[in-house]
Formats: sequence, C-alpha cells, structure tokens
Amino acid sequence: MKLKHRENQIPNSMSENAHIKDVLEEKIIQLKPEDLKKALQIFREKLNQEYAAYLHSCVHCGLCADSCHYYLTHEDVQSLPAYKLSLVQGVFKKYFSFVGKNFPGWTGAKEFNQAMVGEWVDSFFGRCTLCGRCSLNCSLGINIHLLIRTARSALASMGIVPPGLQSTVDTALEKGNNMGIVKEDWIETVEWLEQELQDEVGDKQARLPMDKKGARLLYTVNPKEPMFFPLSILAVGKMFYAAGESWTLSSDNYDVTNYGYFTGNDEAAATMSDRLVQSMKKLSCKTLVLAECGHGFSAARWEAPEWLGKKYDFEVKSILDIVADYIRQGRIKLDPSPNPNPVTLHDPCNLVRLGGIVEEQRYILKHAVSHFIEMSPNREKNFCCGGGGGQLAMTRFSQRRLKAGQIKADQIRKTGAKIVAAPCHNCIDQLMELNKHYKLGVEVKTICEIAADALLIIRNKDQFKNI
Amino acid sequence: MLSFLRFGVIFSFLLSVIALSLLVMKTFSFGKKPLYAKPRGDAKKGIFYALGRGMLPWEKESSGKHLPSYFAGMLYHAGIFSALFYLLSLTFSLELSRLFISLLRFLFVLGFLGGFTLLFKRILLPQIRKISYPDDFTANIIVDLFLIFAFVHTYSMRATPIFFFLAIVMFLYIPVGKIRHCFFFFYARILFGLFYGRRGVLPPKPHKS
Repeated sequence: MKLKHRENQIPNSMSENAHIKDVLEEKIIQLKPEDLKKALQIFREKLNQEYAAYLHSCVHCGLCADSCHYYLTHEDVQSLPAYKLSLVQGVFKKYFSFVGKNFPGWTGAKEFNQAMVGEWVDSFFGRCTLCGRCSLNCSLGINIHLLIRTARSALASMGIVPPGLQSTVDTALEKGNNMGIVKEDWIETVEWLEQELQDEVGDKQARLPMDKKGARLLYTVNPKEPMFFPLSILAVGKMFYAAGESWTLSSDNYDVTNYGYFTGNDEAAATMSDRLVQSMKKLSCKTLVLAECGHGFSAARWEAPEWLGKKYDFEVKSILDIVADYIRQGRIKLDPSPNPNPVTLHDPCNLVRLGGIVEEQRYILKHAVSHFIEMSPNREKNFCCGGGGGQLAMTRFSQRRLKAGQIKADQIRKTGAKIVAAPCHNCIDQLMELNKHYKLGVEVKTICEIAADALLIIRNKDQFKNI
Repeated sequence: MLSFLRFGVIFSFLLSVIALSLLVMKTFSFGKKPLYAKPRGDAKKGIFYALGRGMLPWEKESSGKHLPSYFAGMLYHAGIFSALFYLLSLTFSLELSRLFISLLRFLFVLGFLGGFTLLFKRILLPQIRKISYPDDFTANIIVDLFLIFAFVHTYSMRATPIFFFLAIVMFLYIPVGKIRHCFFFFYARILFGLFYGRRGVLPPKPHKS
C-alpha cells in the first residue's frame, strides 16, 4: 500500500454533493407511516428515566445559545441548542405525555411526520457535533447531546442517515475498519514502519509487535493513521520502545473508531466495540490502549460497556494516560529543545469534556515543548473544532461545518501559536481545513508526534543521571 | 369563604404533589440506564458540584455572560420560595414578626421584578420567543401574579381570597406545565453531576489558566 502524504488527504468537502442530498431527501419522502411508527418505537426504547427527566426539565431560557459554535457563527434560531432540544421534546410530549397528547399547542408538542424527520436531520446531523458544550452550560444540567444522539438513533432505524456517514459505518462493518484497509496492507505498513523505527532509534531489535500474545498493552489505531498519518504510529512505537513496554498491535480488529456512535446505531456500535473485546481476548492483553481519537475514546471507554451490557475485565486507557505515566515514572525522558515553537492545545470534546482526559495531554506537552500556550477557553470549556459528530463524513453540511469552525480558528489565532496539538484525528482533519480556509499558518500534530520529537532514546539507562 | 379557600389551597397542594408524583413515577418507568463502564472520577463529588458550586455564575459561561438573566432568575426563585413560606404561614395561621414580614415583602418585590424581567425578555427577544409556547408565558404570569398578591397581602388582609385563589391556580398548574421543573430541576442537576462526576470531568481540577 502506498502511504500518502498528510497534506494530500484533506477532503475536498467544499463541493456539495447534490446527488447525495437527493438520495436522503428521496428517502424521507418515501417514508411510510409504519417507518415513522418504528422510529418512534426505537425512540421510546432508547429513552430511559434520565432522558425522560431531561425532557421534562427544559424551561426554554435560551441561555445555552452562546455555548454552541453553530449558534455563534450562524445566529439562526435553528442552531440554538434549546431549539434543537425542543424538536426532541416536542415529539416526546406529543407521544409520551398527557398534556402534549391532549393539548399539543400549549406546551409545544409536535407531530412526528416527514417534515419533522427533515427538520431532525437538518438539526441533529447538520447543526450539532454532539460536543456537549450546551449540556455543560445548561442552567438545569440537561445533557442535550445525549437526547440529540437518541433522536439520531430513531432516524438511523429508518435508514435516515447522511450517506457519507452511513458508508463509513458500512465499510467498518464489512471490512473490519472504516477505511477498508485489507489485512496485508496493514501488516505491510507496520513492517515498513518497523524499519523506520529501527533506523530512527538505531536498534535493529526495535519492534512494532504484531499479534504478540500476552503483551501488557494492546494498542488500537485510527485507520487514518496507516493510510495518511503513519508518523502517528511511529511516534507511539518510539514511545513504547523507549519505555521498554510490553505491547502489541493486532492484525485484525484494531480500529479505534466507531462511527455507530455518531449515527446513533447502537447495534452497529456494539458490533464494532465487540471486535476490540475479541482482540483483547485473543491476545490476552491486560490493557486496551486507545490511540489519539476523541470519539473512539468516548465510544470504547464509556459507551461500549453499556452497548455490550457488560463490565470489562480489562482496563481501557488513552495513550495519553500511558505516556503521561511513563514521564511520571521516569520510564521516558523528554527534552523540549527540539520543539522551540509556541504550541497550543485543542481539547477534543469526546476526549476531554465527555471523556475526562483533561490534564494528561497538558502534562506531556509541558515536558515536550519549550513554549506552551493555553487557548481560551480551554479544558472542559473548550469549543468544538466543528469536526465532531461525524461532520467530516457528511459532505452536505460541509459549508456549515467550516463556518462553525470559525470559533476554533479565532481561538487558535489569538494564541499566536505555530503548532496546534490535537489528540484526535478527526479534529486534526478539521483543523487542517480550518488552517487552510482561515489562513492560520499553523502546523497540526498529535500529542505523541510532538512528544516523540522530544524523546530521548537512551539505551544505556545510566545516561539518565546526567539529564 | 376564607376557610373554604384555605382548604382549597391545602387540597390543590396535595393534588399537585400527587400528580407530580405520578409524573415522576411515569418518568421512572422509562427504566434506569445501567452503568457498566468503570468510573474515572467520583460521582458524589460531581453531584455536590452540580448542586452547589456548579451553579455559581463564574462556573458556567452561560451564567457568567448573562448576569442580568442569572440574577433575575435567582431573585425570581428567592421570591417564589418566600411567597410559598408566607402562604404556609397564612394557611396554618403562623405568627410572623413585622421585621420578617418586611424582609419577605422586599423579596416579593425583587422576585416579581426578576420574573417580570424574564417575561419581558421572552416577549422581546425573537430567538427566545421562537422557543416559547403558551405554557412558558402562562407559567410566568401565574407566578408573577402570585408574587404581586403576596406583596399586596402584607399590607391588606382583604387580598387574602385573591392570594389564596392564585395559590390554588399555581398548585394545580405545576404538574401540567413547565413549573414541574420545581422537581425536575434538582433531579436533572443530580443526573448531570453523576454523568460528569463519574467521568472525572467535574468538579474541575484546580489549575492555573
């Protein structure tokens, strides 16, 4: 397999695909009453007491407005989180509440028909990245993004998912990874990277182990990495090598991504999650380590056990947890001097606000770079880049996505940084597009790529004493 | 007449509690979401944060950026709770000192101003108007009137029938309209704290930013 250079893989998402647009609209027009009934049934099944309580809680204060990057950049009521929520709430009231059933106009209860399906698609797929920023800012504490995902589930049950997003799920289900990489290409790429690693560290024994049974860690990757970002894998390989880690890659079922998380199709999401569980069993590893992938982390760490309905008998960690531990334990040493340019950090929503990995990336960067600048706001309050929620796979909404990304572009520009660290490949794709579109003049890298540049490869451990 | 209305207040309150309880039971019938993922943080700390510090204006951008709305809301609710306490004292003929009544009177005024400001905002701002339904206006108006007559009552006992009547209307309206958030607010905050607490996101760890 030929590996492409990073710059070549920026999707030309500026061109709206009219054909795709028609396909989805056609599907909506052809919906039958039984399809709508089925979707309502799925909607009901996915609701639990938590979600039902949220749907009874919204007081329509509208204070969530400023928290949404879509609303801030578009300023239309359709982008207001409370409006989006009112679309879910309206259907809930109409079919599952006494007042809504009998006096629909009074509380905003709404019929679930083709027009509403169209509005749901536009709002929940086209104006939301499921970033959870509105949830964090809701006066009542309503997890709005969870309700929007539930509505996506209902749409998915009718096959109403933007085609680009659905095809990513289909490819993953059919081929085992979302880019459809064949096993031989994956193995060949890893072998090539292993040679690169050996050259870089000057050790012919350095390995990128594949299918090593009983290794402590199983490292999963985003299929974009072997396709477009091989340096990300190499960077992690260097880190493991320097730490003397017992780890392995898997020749199959190695995909950390899970686009079922975005479509709302829990069954597909569970199938993809189960593959990682099977890899863990097959290789008898102790910890599942997730590559720098925001939604992949949220899906595998937080949602997968719920989808599969079981507790895991192994640990699930982000690679950032692992690298931060290496630094704390003195298993690797970093020298920030190779990274003199100012670096800022983008906090992926799924990893930080919804995932809880907040300080690890900062800890690593503070050891790896000479000049670290925080964005404002940051951590759990950071803005979404606009690439979440499967937006990068939905070409029909790409204009909106770029416009919504202006908030992030402004945040980056204000820092004056030359490098943006982003521990998520979807975010990286979006940031690279924003970089081009808003002429930011920055370089976008993963945390491990930056840390690997600062890594001191020391085969003789005594040398640590002089550092 | 007064005893009849006093009975009406107690009866409507009980009816409201029963209807709200049924609504809560129906909500709980949707089933509890099982949690299998291993926690990263402390759910209890998250809940304490959500019900305490997390409601301070500097903790939430939506409050910090909209301080007038935030304070209007706080005063509105302070006024409502004061008026409910005043109603309780009247219903059960409890003696309140003059000084305390003056304090309540002050809170009623502030509460009314807060509520009226929010109503005015709902009417004036097109974006908020578009997410408003008759229920949003009705609930606000009923409570505003309740506050006005609580205030009037502190000066004139002749307002008692109207004050009691408004209390009955308000209690009966709670389970059918948005005032039901008097229960769901606390439940939603607990769930919010649980979600982000378990994930180790809230409470935010101290840092230099």
